[in-house]
Amino acid sequence: MSTPARKTWEQAGLGLFFALGGLVLLVAIAAGTGIGEMPIPIETTFAAVTNRLGWTAIDLPPIQESVIWDYRLSRALVAACCGAGLAICGAVLQALLRNPLAEPYVLGISAGASTGAVGIIVLGVGAGTISLSAGAFAGAFAAFTFVAMLSNGGRGGPSKTILAGVAASQLFNALTSYIVTTSGNAQQARDVMFWLLGSFGGVRWPEFQLVLVVVAVGLLVCLYYARALDAFAFGDDAAASLGIPVGTVRLVLLGITAMMTATIVSMVGSIGFVGLVVPHAARFIVGHNHARLLPTCVVAGGIFMVLADIVSRVILPQQILPIGVVTALVGVPAFSIILYRAKGAA
Amino acid sequence: MSISAQNLCWSVGKINIVNDVSLSVPPGKVLGLLGPNGSGKSSLLRLLAGLRRPASGQVLLEGRDIQAIGRRALARRMALVEQHATTEANVRVRDVVTLGRIPHRSPLSGWTVVDEEAVIAALDRVGMWGRADRNWHSLSGGERQRVHLARALAQSPRELLLDEPTNHLDIQHQIALLKLVGELALTTVVALHDINHAAMFCDQLLVLDAGKVVAQGAPEDILSETLMRDVFRVEARIDSSPHHGRPHVHYLI
Amino acid sequence: MSPAKDLVALLAVSLCIITTPTFAAPTTYPLTLDNCGVSVTFEKAPERAVALGQNSAEIMLLLGLEDRMVGTAFWPTKVLPELQEANDSVKLLSVETPSLESVLAENPDFVAAQLPILMGPDSKVAKREDFERLGIGSYLAPGICAVTHDTKDAYGSRDYLWNMDYVYQEIDELSQIFDVQDRGQSLISEFKAREAALRARVGADNADLSYVFWFSSPSPADDAYLGGKNGASGFIADLLGGHNAIDTEAEWPTVSWEGIMAANPDVIVVGESDRNRWELDRAENKIAFLNSDPAVSQLDAVKQGRIVVMQASAMNPTIRTIYGAEEVADQLAKLGLGK
Repeated sequence: MSTPARKTWEQAGLGLFFALGGLVLLVAIAAGTGIGEMPIPIETTFAAVTNRLGWTAIDLPPIQESVIWDYRLSRALVAACCGAGLAICGAVLQALLRNPLAEPYVLGISAGASTGAVGIIVLGVGAGTISLSAGAFAGAFAAFTFVAMLSNGGRGGPSKTILAGVAASQLFNALTSYIVTTSGNAQQARDVMFWLLGSFGGVRWPEFQLVLVVVAVGLLVCLYYARALDAFAFGDDAAASLGIPVGTVRLVLLGITAMMTATIVSMVGSIGFVGLVVPHAARFIVGHNHARLLPTCVVAGGIFMVLADIVSRVILPQQILPIGVVTALVGVPAFSIILYRAKGAA
Repeated sequence: MSISAQNLCWSVGKINIVNDVSLSVPPGKVLGLLGPNGSGKSSLLRLLAGLRRPASGQVLLEGRDIQAIGRRALARRMALVEQHATTEANVRVRDVVTLGRIPHRSPLSGWTVVDEEAVIAALDRVGMWGRADRNWHSLSGGERQRVHLARALAQSPRELLLDEPTNHLDIQHQIALLKLVGELALTTVVALHDINHAAMFCDQLLVLDAGKVVAQGAPEDILSETLMRDVFRVEARIDSSPHHGRPHVHYLI
Repeated sequence: MSPAKDLVALLAVSLCIITTPTFAAPTTYPLTLDNCGVSVTFEKAPERAVALGQNSAEIMLLLGLEDRMVGTAFWPTKVLPELQEANDSVKLLSVETPSLESVLAENPDFVAAQLPILMGPDSKVAKREDFERLGIGSYLAPGICAVTHDTKDAYGSRDYLWNMDYVYQEIDELSQIFDVQDRGQSLISEFKAREAALRARVGADNADLSYVFWFSSPSPADDAYLGGKNGASGFIADLLGGHNAIDTEAEWPTVSWEGIMAANPDVIVVGESDRNRWELDRAENKIAFLNSDPAVSQLDAVKQGRIVVMQASAMNPTIRTIYGAEEVADQLAKLGLGK
């Protein structure tokens, strides 16, 4: 049982854990910057970063310096943010919907993004003034609005909300198919499907700035409601009896997860398993307290995604393996192990 | 600390679940809610807890309408133990009891000595001290119920509402829990199934039938053969127990 | 058309090719082009070019630029047989979409891209800025930027029939960039002459045949992927003096065999593809289906054997379209349907 001394130990241990986790994340990002198809010596990698930070002015081949800074580093940072964001969304949705299988796309966000993307490419909505990502984001938010209305802001309960999400996914996927079938050409259909398949290939520094802000804001909001998330464990009435304004909190959290997910999907496409598996792994390490769980998800999700991206880039020569394949191939066994260990622990 | 309700009405669709219920619980006393299944006991408790808005009528705490008391302020003084609170999450016992401190902590405040002591005391009172690190899914139904009660106690309440808290407990724990509730000296409303337990441990009883109050008062005043027959549809004889002095119902077969 | 008239037409075309002025002016550098709304400047002819996209690569090979190419990527079909040897001397980065690093690893000074997924703001491979900031020249096929308010889509508008103009523009601009304008102009003339020759074969007694261009189907009797009315397939039909039997405006309509029978085409063009994804990618399997299916085999076109084989790549709006049209025209002549 906790005594004050043990509490201090616990907190020290936790602090160390997060510091270590942060360090591993930095190492992963460094690995993502140094590893790639083009063989670049480590000294060059270091020098490129210090050059661009303005600390040094070493003479380097411009292509290598550009690959390191403009391409690999920005990509690794975006991957970390996306992994963190998806993991946070997964954890929050699993608590809100009281369903361990909930994940960021359960509210139809990915399907909505596909419809938005298709509207831009195929229907030419906006006539070239709206970017593909903006269109996808608009579609994602349309899907979320649809779900929010159908589930009455989530007030109908977790099952109704999930069903609303299923309905949204079906509807928007059907819309996408309809648009592609009746208006599109083969190239466009291929373009859209390719674009939707998760990939970090198209991100550079501007994308990092955007996703960093979105995920940081999302994390802060979710941390603010960390206790409310704990309280939801036993249902709406239990949470309300603890003083939580259930309707407001749920709407805010659904909205913030939708915003994070929509941003990520419209930036890099759909990447599965991260939002589902990482929260479970994190819970396995730090338990259910969301004040600890959410930061753990940030670190674990970031590390997972950065490493998955490295694998996707180097595992096949001259080709990139879709990152969704990597996350699934790693995610499924990891999930199985977690389930197995959890059974035993109980 | 007193709880009172005036002419509460609540319905779902066209069905009146709670029909013009008025009650009053003096400070520190225990009111037992009795009635067959579907008589509206759970719904009434939720109305008293402020979890549902009555269609008409009011709930008053020391004369103040609970609608006027903020949700969090309400949670700092009134705790509810639900009948079937389940979770998929494999939380620890300690985590569940800690939830009870939420109304007392602002989002940015840390864990204080007061919080720690409240949790320890609550676990101790329900006899779950030694099992604070056990996982939820490893607990029996009775143990879970006790943890829920500990969580309610951790809220440092002045009013306590319990919805059939003894359902899954061994008789030993049933008696212990009801005794504990009596000793807490909180203003309590407890819905019970066992009429004899209600008679033993409650200061007052309120009997509901189809959402309406059919009897209210001290156990010895309202428990009668007619009541047993009309409301509970059993033949019974009632006398005063030679062991504890309270009414005791003998069921006839 | 009689064999004698045939020969005359051939001679006329050859003369056109030979006598077309092929001595175009050399490029003066620095050369500035407006390419998809971006002003690109070239100080000199590129020496290490990467072609992203089969059509752009084949154009560059036809312009004889293999010695100045260091890599190609994205080949949906096999290269033109006559370009095989030249293509073999150029490194293949990937048959599918390449990675940016693999492109940059070749230390290029010029990158030409055929499709928006290969280079552009929504590409997962490269943005123009990736090359611009390294001083590498970039070029997008003109067809990509044709996302105007009127046409609404980049590859063959739904509103009007596709034509070779974008292809000619690409040949022209690439030849300017590489300072091979004489070869560029003669290539354009050659294609235009081939186009003209095909049109010339359409006589006064033209039957305005209706065509169905069958790309492939997931399985026999499944709905078929056809070339649409206004796409490259429609262009081929138009070249041959006919029209696409399918009236919908989608570029790759999916039509059931019931619908195809209702359209009752005069000629069925079966696509031959080495893609190996579906059994019906191969022309022989398509023909087998046409002849064996109880309902479809009753089509007039099938009963009278009016089936022609064409490289499926011609159904994409590229230089291969002309080759495909010629394939079809020759087979039609053998069937006695054309000249």
